[in-house]
Amino acid sequence: MGDDTGGQMVDMTLFTGERSMAGYRLNKLSASLIDPDNRAEFLADEHAYCRRFELTAEETKLVLNRDWTGMVTAGGNVYVFLKIAATVGSNLLEVGAEMRGETLDQFMATRPPQEGSR
Amino acid sequence: MGQIVGGIGVSHAPSLARAYDQDKGDDPEWRDIFESYKPAAEWLEALQPDALVMVYNDHVNQFFFDAYPTFALGVAETFAQADEGWGKRPLPDLRGDTKLGWHIARSLVADEFDPTICQEMVVDHGVYSILPFLMAPPWETPITPLAVNVIQHPLPTARRCFNIGAAIARAVESYDDARVVVIATGGMSHQLHGEDFGHVSPGWDNEFLDLLETNPAALCELDHLEYMRRGGAESVEIIMWLAMRGAMGTQVRNIHRAYFAPLLTGYGLVCFEPG
Repeated sequence: MGDDTGGQMVDMTLFTGERSMAGYRLNKLSASLIDPDNRAEFLADEHAYCRRFELTAEETKLVLNRDWTGMVTAGGNVYVFLKIAATVGSNLLEVGAEMRGETLDQFMATRPPQEGSR
Repeated sequence: MGQIVGGIGVSHAPSLARAYDQDKGDDPEWRDIFESYKPAAEWLEALQPDALVMVYNDHVNQFFFDAYPTFALGVAETFAQADEGWGKRPLPDLRGDTKLGWHIARSLVADEFDPTICQEMVVDHGVYSILPFLMAPPWETPITPLAVNVIQHPLPTARRCFNIGAAIARAVESYDDARVVVIATGGMSHQLHGEDFGHVSPGWDNEFLDLLETNPAALCELDHLEYMRRGGAESVEIIMWLAMRGAMGTQVRNIHRAYFAPLLTGYGLVCFEPG
């Protein structure tokens, strides 16, 4: 994780106020998808929707590519970008498998996890 | 005077909501988990509470980062279910109790806790994923929701959560004759981002359950990073359970306890009575 913790056993990115600022536009777009009309607008034209929220070219690419790992790096919060996944018919398990660099089947083969497993 | 007659700590998770909606109670993967909620639901019904206080966190459905409150108390006649992006589930709104709600608000602020007071508030799976297992809808018992920021750092400390729970108990004790149950939700160990997505720590979760009952002061001492190291980043939300424990007084009797970790998070459950 993070820059200031060292030595922890789990890889993580702390969602600090600074990260929240960095990911503000991306998170604002994601959070807007709690509205069904916005979901329809997003699905109709993702590029236009990203422009509406003033995403940078880099951020737009993350959205179009469903690059969840990239979104975390860019300050996206998983609870929020999960609403993009919901909108495009995906779910938490698929998002998680992608972040681990696995297929969904590969990930599910690790369940139920053993104590101490990573 | 009012009294806290029970406390519940329980995990919330979207997977629980899906399992409930898909009626998975007879599915081998879910049967024991569904069964584990039944003694809690029966006990809760027998307690005949007049009101529930539910401590949970909003997953950026009611609040966005333009204004993200550390503590937010809902005081309204009803609380609608949030659409989190998948559409709403076929469940009714929550009933509020504005008389109790404003009393708690006044008492907390007089007690030097300063929640944001919300007269409109949608409530997400922090409440809705688990409530149907504990109480069959439609829910007649009024609910006062207290949302806690466990997402955007800085977060309130574990001790602060414990202390606001104790302040809720003081609010209830200075109210009219009412029997109140405090329920705190929040996933136990889980990690939802990065390469360690799916990390769970059943050993730590069970240690937490032990300490919650017998030595909550030790849990109040741990900082957020320690919770995150032990249980995964998103598991820090377990500090909300300390609000329930803080409301219960010095000693508790354990009525029911269950724990499973089949998928992404520890599904834990404890039911306490004071004394």
